[in-house]
Amino acid sequence: MNRMNRDAWLAVALLLFTGFMLWASFDIREPDYGVLAPSVWPRIILVIFGFLSALYLMQSLRADPESAPEGEEELPASLMGYLVYWRNPIICFGLFAAYLALLPVLGMLLDGMAFVFVLLCALGGWSLRDMAIHAAVAVISVGGMWSVFTYGLRVLMPTGMLIPGL
Amino acid sequence: MIIENIILAFGEVLTIKTVLLMTLGVAGGLVAGAIPGFTIAMAVVLTLPFTFSMPPSQGLATMVSVLVGGLSGGLMAGILTGIPGTPSSVATTFDGFPMARKGKPGLALGLGVWSSFSGGMISAILLVTLAPQLARVGLEFQPWDYFMLVMFALTITASLSGKNLVKGLIAGALGLLVRTVGEDEAVGMARFDFGSEMLLQGFDFIAVLIGLFAFSQLLNDVRDPAQARKSLSEKGAIQARIEHRAAIKEIAKRWTIVLRSAFIGTFTGILPGAGGSVANILAYDQAKKASKHPEKFGTGIPDGVIAPETSNNAVEGGALITMMALGIPGDVTTAVMLGALLIHDVVPSPTFIAEEPVLAYSIFIAFFIANFIMLFLQSGMLRVFILVTRIRMYFLAAIILGFCGMGVFALNNVDSDLWTLLWFGILGFLMRHFGFPLAPMILGVVLGNIAELNLARAVAIDDSFMPFFTRPWSLFFLIVAVFSAAFPWFQNARGKKMWTLFYLPVACFAVALPLAMMALQHGSVPRGVIAIIVVISGAYILWQRWQSGWNLQAHAGPDLKEG
Repeated sequence: MNRMNRDAWLAVALLLFTGFMLWASFDIREPDYGVLAPSVWPRIILVIFGFLSALYLMQSLRADPESAPEGEEELPASLMGYLVYWRNPIICFGLFAAYLALLPVLGMLLDGMAFVFVLLCALGGWSLRDMAIHAAVAVISVGGMWSVFTYGLRVLMPTGMLIPGL
Repeated sequence: MIIENIILAFGEVLTIKTVLLMTLGVAGGLVAGAIPGFTIAMAVVLTLPFTFSMPPSQGLATMVSVLVGGLSGGLMAGILTGIPGTPSSVATTFDGFPMARKGKPGLALGLGVWSSFSGGMISAILLVTLAPQLARVGLEFQPWDYFMLVMFALTITASLSGKNLVKGLIAGALGLLVRTVGEDEAVGMARFDFGSEMLLQGFDFIAVLIGLFAFSQLLNDVRDPAQARKSLSEKGAIQARIEHRAAIKEIAKRWTIVLRSAFIGTFTGILPGAGGSVANILAYDQAKKASKHPEKFGTGIPDGVIAPETSNNAVEGGALITMMALGIPGDVTTAVMLGALLIHDVVPSPTFIAEEPVLAYSIFIAFFIANFIMLFLQSGMLRVFILVTRIRMYFLAAIILGFCGMGVFALNNVDSDLWTLLWFGILGFLMRHFGFPLAPMILGVVLGNIAELNLARAVAIDDSFMPFFTRPWSLFFLIVAVFSAAFPWFQNARGKKMWTLFYLPVACFAVALPLAMMALQHGSVPRGVIAIIVVISGAYILWQRWQSGWNLQAHAGPDLKEG
């Protein structure tokens, strides 16, 4: 009988991660000075982490594989269902990554406005009326925050190559 | 000396700029608290970048104000819409919403506002009186004791913040592990950098906190496209005027509930990991048990509003006591406050109040003043706060994500912090999704360095590990850590398994041992007396259970876990 449920797969991933990090801990240089070597504390944590992950695996294997993981809703079964289910978070992560990648080009002000505008439209809709409202919200909110940081708190926000100084 | 420090602290806090910032902070906190899904911790985390350029006292006063506002903001949404703004206001809805639906929203709000104020003031008094005393006790702590205190804080947070202890502990260990990335503090050796310059610098822990908490929370809130486009709350009465006089009269008649709930809140706050979400249910449950009419609870009676609202506002006073006296954050919000102190090069420890008395007292005073500002704002701007709950979630999410980018960049003016924000946002989102609590991980990130440094100091002093088990304070924290780790099993098995009848008595007897050791070692009479009282309490509980014929159902308690 297949006892592997989602928690069990996750526990296996955590165990693999523990193994990888333990292996990486042998790359930490051991100096001749100091009492507690720099690798000791991470290894203590990793041993505990590995033990807990093994416990988690046993706990998961003992649970009914057909039941949904505790405290969580049932997930869709197909890949398409997954994509629909995760649509908004994927959009947010993707747009935020694009925002970071474009930061050197657009600068914090323009990039921030573009990010908030596109995100608002992606989450809220692309009708003309929506876009007008979203543009106003993006300009006012990001412009306001940028002004507070730049002029109020004297933080040097990154400028872009597209419009130097902005 | 104390008077002089208090006067100096008043001078620090009572400037026009600071009071204005505090007012903005309380207003921001009230708004954040009123929005379901927008937690107080998130509001405090997002305030942090604004405080970098402020003097420490001003920055902390602003953050304390957000905290106080956030604690009270949840009650408005809870009473008028039945949807608690924050987990700290869950129990408030049990009687607050029925009372509002019965046509008394003004009285329900008045009870909530004045109970919050009373809870805040009582815990502020306890904060001022208890924090210096606890700090004096903390001066006895040696590295072994500190290390065990951190372990206890992590264990109890893991056991109280989720449904699965193992997941909580994994989250805590992951937090500790995240803090080891980069150069180690003791000898400056690179750890887990994998040849990357960014990893060699380590993760800025504020960027980690914002990513884990705020970023992931927002993505969680907009996960469902239909919900994201809906207003946060579309039901409930908005035409309400707070009935102050009637509320004060009702609260005065029930002063015992106020006092009991404030104590429950403060002492729950002192305990690391147990926050307002536990305190409000515990206070509600105790008020119900002590009531002559427990059957009326849930129908809209004043007692059911007063108890949870008093206790949840008292919690932060308690959490601040632990943070200021021992340097151990009691919950996520105080973990962020601790981060704010560290940014200003102030390291909270038992010597903090003695070494930085003006800053310490300015935090006390800010806590007092913020409660008054909260009372004033909550009365005058009720409509505004309720209108905020009409905003569509996706607007908030997009704007706040944009703000997160700017705020995190302002930390160190480096792009890599923004990537840290993104990666930890993804990690936090996945952890939430897979049912891992974030609070232990956040505490692990904040306390990781403290644990490692104290372990290094302990090993430097004595290479034997025996002091961890033979020093009274270390043993004390070890014992309470073990019992707090077993607490979720106790909670689940309570009323069903025979061994649960012995959990509390055995805990009492075990805790009495290090207390007795302290009494013998230091010749301390009070600790000896406390040890005897604890033993007698354990024996009394055991006797009670024997008297009831070892009846399991008679000792089933409330569910204290977050939902």
